[in-house]
Amino acid sequence: MDAIVLSGAGLVLQGRQVLADLSLRLSEPRIGIVGRNGSGKTSLLRLIAGLVPASTGSVRIAGLDPGKDRKAMLRKLGILFQNPDHQILFPTVAEELAFGLVQQGQSRAEAAARVAALLEAEGRAHWAGAPTHTLSQGQRQYLCLLAVLAMAPDWLLLDEPYAALDLPTQARLRRHLAGLTQRTVVISHDPVAVADMDRVIWLEAGRLRADGPPDDVLPAFRAEMMRLGEVDADTDLAT
Amino acid sequence: MERNLTHIALFAALIAVLGLVPKIDLGIGVPITAQSLGIMLCGTVLGAKRGALAVLLFLALVAMGVPLLSGGRGGIGLFASPSVGFLVGFPVAAFVTGWVMERLRGDVALAAFNASAIGGIIVLYAFGIPGIAFMAGKPLAEAAVGSLAFLPGDLVKAVLAALVTQMVARARPGSLLSRAQDAAGNVEAS
Amino acid sequence: MLTLTSPRETVLHRWPAGLKLALVAAGSVVLFQLPMAGVAVALALAAALALTLGLGRDWLGLLRLLWPVVLVLLAWHGLTGTLAQGALAVLRMLALVGLANLVTMTTRLSDMQAVFLWLSRPLAPILPPQRLALAFALVIRFVPVMLLRWQALVLAWRARAARRPGWHIYAPAVLAALDEADRVADALRARGGTA
Repeated sequence: MDAIVLSGAGLVLQGRQVLADLSLRLSEPRIGIVGRNGSGKTSLLRLIAGLVPASTGSVRIAGLDPGKDRKAMLRKLGILFQNPDHQILFPTVAEELAFGLVQQGQSRAEAAARVAALLEAEGRAHWAGAPTHTLSQGQRQYLCLLAVLAMAPDWLLLDEPYAALDLPTQARLRRHLAGLTQRTVVISHDPVAVADMDRVIWLEAGRLRADGPPDDVLPAFRAEMMRLGEVDADTDLAT
Repeated sequence: MERNLTHIALFAALIAVLGLVPKIDLGIGVPITAQSLGIMLCGTVLGAKRGALAVLLFLALVAMGVPLLSGGRGGIGLFASPSVGFLVGFPVAAFVTGWVMERLRGDVALAAFNASAIGGIIVLYAFGIPGIAFMAGKPLAEAAVGSLAFLPGDLVKAVLAALVTQMVARARPGSLLSRAQDAAGNVEAS
Repeated sequence: MLTLTSPRETVLHRWPAGLKLALVAAGSVVLFQLPMAGVAVALALAAALALTLGLGRDWLGLLRLLWPVVLVLLAWHGLTGTLAQGALAVLRMLALVGLANLVTMTTRLSDMQAVFLWLSRPLAPILPPQRLALAFALVIRFVPVMLLRWQALVLAWRARAARRPGWHIYAPAVLAALDEADRVADALRARGGTA
């Protein structure tokens, strides 16, 4: 499986430096990214996924730019947005699942058969014709995960996957993710969510603050977050 | 590429929503249906081409029988009612509104009002009145006089389109696609 | 999202959508040539067809939406002393709309879309059919989403205001559409874009 390589990557959005000078080689099976609100976590994920182009430096997977070579990236990278309503594109479950497959070059008939088999295997055959907006929040996120997994990417990028889920649904998702063969990058502001990862990256104001095994990074992250909580943490004006 | 398509689709959905939600009371006892406000906003916000395409997309779905026209109406039967001229005129109205908006410089609200009045009223009526005359079996002049009844309401909508467009321009300068070059300049400046 | 298609399966459901639309188009041309009696017969035929298919109630329900138009047309013609012409215009409208509604009620949305995509084939070089189909799907998906956004805005208004929502609420609704469009573009791009 190919590593994700960032070389001096930076991102400027509307005149604001959102990410700066990130050089990382991501190859561990389970990687967590932590940071405060506005530290650039989601921007980093979008940058890796090729949804925004790097303003400086570069992002490469197998030597390819994820922002340019979209066709090849569909097999390399799948991204799960934080809010499933920002991800679901189609009125029915079956259409939503089939879309990515057709984009990967399958015929409509092949995609339909694959979707039917997938739903059957998940014990959700009755979902096929269901309108996507009638599913619950947890179900919609599950649908998004299925839609991405159906495309069988090497890497799965997840933006705060547990944030909006109740505890049982979180546990189920955690189990589901643990069983995946995909390499995963998980964003979270919650150290608990990334405690059992192989590597944790701590972003602060768009820069790398710490990088290493969770046991090295998370205690310092926790301590810093507690310290910030004691002082008035949010006086900087967001622009 | 994707943004073009999604702007067109989301504004088609917005036109539908503006026609489906309960009427807004303006506090002067005149409740208005906002669907034609949606047509004007397509032009003032998205510009000529994208605005017209959004309206066409909306109309195609209405014709297919999706009940998105104000009051939950839909189906090709609508094109056999006296409103046929207005329906046909909708995309042209959005296009002209956008075309005028793209060319008028200066104050956003004033430009949006003028664009909406020219596209969303004058052009729209130019299509709507013959439609009424034809379907009602009446001479043009009589249909035109009859249509004057809608004029005050539509002028109110042009004012609303102007105010809403100005609020959008203030909140997201870069999003007013009808004035994309302007907006780019603002971002540099700020 | 609901459509006007009748869930009750009829013979007409199995007819090709293109044929039904062509018949209505031809029928409307003919209707404009017919005198009052002919138009009345056509309306009666449409009603009889709806009843035979077991769609009478829904068909009448759709046609009833036209009553204000009927009233205005009759009053208008009455004032100008052309009541006979007015009656003809009203009957013709009812017959035309009635026939067209039968097609709408007996044609599934997917079949109707197929006709539109077929009609748009000459435009394929500038408007690929897949992109048009995607646009249709996006609107159907995002009308309920935008309705919910609107309801959330109304609630947010009411939570902090005694008066009913005024025109100010249109601006955040437009911004919601713009923001949503950006996000949907990302979601599309993440899964292969519009190509």
